[in-house]
Amino acid sequence: MKKTSFDIHAPGNAHHDHHDHVHDHDHDEHAPVNEHDNGPPNDYEIMSRAMQELLEEKGYIKPGQIAKRMEEFDEQFPFRGAQVVARAWVDPAFKARLLADGRAACLELGTILEAERLIAVENTPDVHNVIVCTLCSCYPRSLLGMPPSWYKSRNYRSRVVFEPRAVLKEFGTALAEDVTIRVHDSNADMRYLVIPMRPHGTEGWSEEKLSQILSRDTLVGVTVPSITNH
Amino acid sequence: MTNSPLKNKGPQDIGGDPAGPIDTTDHGMTHWQRQANAFRSVTTMNKIVITDELRRAAEELGSQYGQMQYFEITTSAIKTVLLEKKLFTEEELQQKMIQIRARFNVPDESLSPLKKTPLK
Repeated sequence: MKKTSFDIHAPGNAHHDHHDHVHDHDHDEHAPVNEHDNGPPNDYEIMSRAMQELLEEKGYIKPGQIAKRMEEFDEQFPFRGAQVVARAWVDPAFKARLLADGRAACLELGTILEAERLIAVENTPDVHNVIVCTLCSCYPRSLLGMPPSWYKSRNYRSRVVFEPRAVLKEFGTALAEDVTIRVHDSNADMRYLVIPMRPHGTEGWSEEKLSQILSRDTLVGVTVPSITNH
Repeated sequence: MTNSPLKNKGPQDIGGDPAGPIDTTDHGMTHWQRQANAFRSVTTMNKIVITDELRRAAEELGSQYGQMQYFEITTSAIKTVLLEKKLFTEEELQQKMIQIRARFNVPDESLSPLKKTPLK
């Protein structure tokens, strides 16, 4: 087993309190114990900044590149998936192209995906699709932004593959027993995007309005779009 | 996991393991997590590293993997790979970390592991 030189967190050190909870690793992504913005920086934060500065000094990363990427993750990526699916809802030819080659279809709308393949999976009255990455956190980030805490959590990754119906219930999504649930396990080269069913009552809606009911969770498949409050 | 028939199962391979209820709240990201995420993204975008290299380095963390937070794992993996590629030395990294830590002006020095255990 490889030991990194960074293994310096002493149990019992209050500053690294969260590292002591070995039994508690199910909650590894759960704030507030992980929050360091209001306290002294942890070693990984220092390390990450140090590596950024070294690569900038040596010319591997352009000054401003990291800041720009942070901005894109905050302001652009989280909204693109909804735009893509809203287009698919109003344009059957686009939907066909999205289902045939997700990467090429997203490129039509100006989005370059990180992974080589994007597989769009369409919900129907008989089949509901859910996405996971059991091995880590592969996720269509340039379409949905950063994966939420639960997507990266041990409990979601472990359980959704063998008891998706129970997992969906925890998200408040109760599907009829006769609906097949398909769970898609993403990887580094291949990402998934769920195309939910368009709700009744949205006839004549603009793409803009439709995109507002396409939350991140509906595009991962843990919830379904609803027109309540719209 | 103890009942796993897979002898080579890595720490990341948790699909199918029994686990507890899911906290369905998104807790968002701190500023440093956003930096770490953007840094990872740019290192792959600039073709300094590839995702598979980072995955391999993360999976090598073994038993530490389950005890580390998500961005601690990615940061540790990037460090491993960048050192392997000799983009900087361990010495350069330690010097830079000391400089940056000084900028933060940590009020209680005893909380800083750097003061107690110099990193190699």
